[in-house]
Amino acid sequence: MRAIDLAEQVPTVHKETTGAEAARIVAEFRLNGLVVADDSGVPIAVIPGSQLLSVVLPQYVRDDPHLAHAYDEQAADDLCAKLTTVTLGDLIDAKRLTPAQLPQVEPDATVVEIVSAMSKLHYPLIVVADQARFHGVVTMSRVLAAIAQAAGQDSDLIRRRLDKDIIDRGRSGYLSEAGGDTARGAGEDAR
Amino acid sequence: MTLAAWLAVAVFASAYILIATEKLNRAAVALGGAAAMVAIGATRGHAMFFSEETGIDWNVIFLLFGMMIIVGILKETGVFEFLAIWSAQRAQARPFRMMVMLILITAVASALLDNVTTVLLVAPVTLLLCDRMALPPVPFLLAEAMASNIGGTATLIGDPPNIIIASRAGLSFNDFVVNLAPIVVVLLAVFIGLAWLLWGRRLAHDPERSSAVMALTPRETITNAALLRRMSLILALVLLGFVTHAVTHIEPSVIALLGAGAAILVSRLEPDTYLEDVEWETLLFFAGLFVMVGSLVHQGVIEQLARSVTSLIDGNYHVAAQGILVGSAVLSGIVDNIPYVATMSPLVHGLVGPAAGLPPEEASLWWALALGADLGGNATAIGASANVVVCGIAKRNGHPISFWEFTKYGLIVTAVTILCTVPYVTLRYF
Repeated sequence: MRAIDLAEQVPTVHKETTGAEAARIVAEFRLNGLVVADDSGVPIAVIPGSQLLSVVLPQYVRDDPHLAHAYDEQAADDLCAKLTTVTLGDLIDAKRLTPAQLPQVEPDATVVEIVSAMSKLHYPLIVVADQARFHGVVTMSRVLAAIAQAAGQDSDLIRRRLDKDIIDRGRSGYLSEAGGDTARGAGEDAR
Repeated sequence: MTLAAWLAVAVFASAYILIATEKLNRAAVALGGAAAMVAIGATRGHAMFFSEETGIDWNVIFLLFGMMIIVGILKETGVFEFLAIWSAQRAQARPFRMMVMLILITAVASALLDNVTTVLLVAPVTLLLCDRMALPPVPFLLAEAMASNIGGTATLIGDPPNIIIASRAGLSFNDFVVNLAPIVVVLLAVFIGLAWLLWGRRLAHDPERSSAVMALTPRETITNAALLRRMSLILALVLLGFVTHAVTHIEPSVIALLGAGAAILVSRLEPDTYLEDVEWETLLFFAGLFVMVGSLVHQGVIEQLARSVTSLIDGNYHVAAQGILVGSAVLSGIVDNIPYVATMSPLVHGLVGPAAGLPPEEASLWWALALGADLGGNATAIGASANVVVCGIAKRNGHPISFWEFTKYGLIVTAVTILCTVPYVTLRYF
């Protein structure tokens, strides 16, 4: 399989997306990273899932993890509530989120090339694009599904993972309710 | 002076300027300066590594190293977080009372540990308390940085300049407690009054917000009670070792290393955990600095300088002590007090020699140096390492403290504390 065959559409967020919305998108689509797109929907950066978890924590708790034990339930809820008032752009400006440029492979890249690029950069996502256009994103779960299938570990779930894009998980639910505004598919506009 | 001596002075002055301007990493500058001293022939291997006077003072390096490991392991227990939250609750979460409690905790902890570690531990919990009470954290952080510099003045291990002075002058832990702790207690009382005038009177109390602090659960921060008990015993034994130095004659560095070894054994922590808190950069900075200053000693520059100053003083130690006190306070505000004291200690040694057996008026020069350098560190944001650390934590948490904001308050605190110290030196030693 080539990168073009594995490329899929994933939900994207923008700098204006609030922390709470980002958390909801990650939960609804079971993502392990968030793709930040520009106004035309083309992915420009990725935020690993581990960073998203840590935005709930104030910097001082990250500096001193013992303080996490001092919070009672109400104080913990207060912390989570703050995510409704802060956008990803705010968090990026405050350097609490440090999105990185998405690594990129050519459409004809092999599975080995994709895995090599992902493991070198510790990224769960990689962009498939050539000079002419953006084709989509290869996710870690889809590339592992392809590897499992090639290794003879085929199943209905594996085939479904290879056939259906992550964005389809939310088509009948989240996207229809949200109007697809905050969680457009990466590359839908560019295709 | 010889050509090598003049070259050594040029290397030293260049390195000092680079350290003071903070254009380059200070450890890199100190080590680069040390290498340059070797290159110009100002020092040699034996003088660098096997002489306290002309090379690296291993007592200072290993005392710092041992204490860093002890604190690194003690930190894992969560006791500092417990103390800070508990004290805020004891103060009924009233802003100024809370500030006073945090000042006292920081000052006492700084006397027993080191300033940088203390503020590293107290600042995050202060941010938590202020966040819960919707209070501006900057006044609290400024007060803590200054309290750590004042509290650290009281003991041999409280502030890195004191460790250098103790080693060069042959002063014991008890000498520091007897000579400096009394004035530090007075200065802390004065500082609390200043804190009220500078910040406390403007801090508003909101009972609803205070209840958010009262709801915090400090006991939960103690994550390893068994380790805390063991570490309390080890820390007590280490302090006992320092206090009984006159009887046992065991060097403070050896006591700290024994304590560190015992702490490693009882904690059973992975080396990565406790070595994480060793500030290798600081230790290398000290090593490079000692080689540079040692080269000046080796070349006779310090001796010549001491002779000139001796003729200038002409036996008037009272004026000399007050001059060192005020001059050190001013210069420590401009450059980090560690390189300042590393340079001044050999000079004072040249003037009066080791402190043991000196009449009080001559020994006063050593105490004036310690008081001036330690208290002068409060003057500016770069005057002491604790200030730099606090400003860094504040910035990372979205509450930047500008150089001038720190200095505005720092100059007042330094001026008042030095003014209180001038009569103390006169009354105590003359």
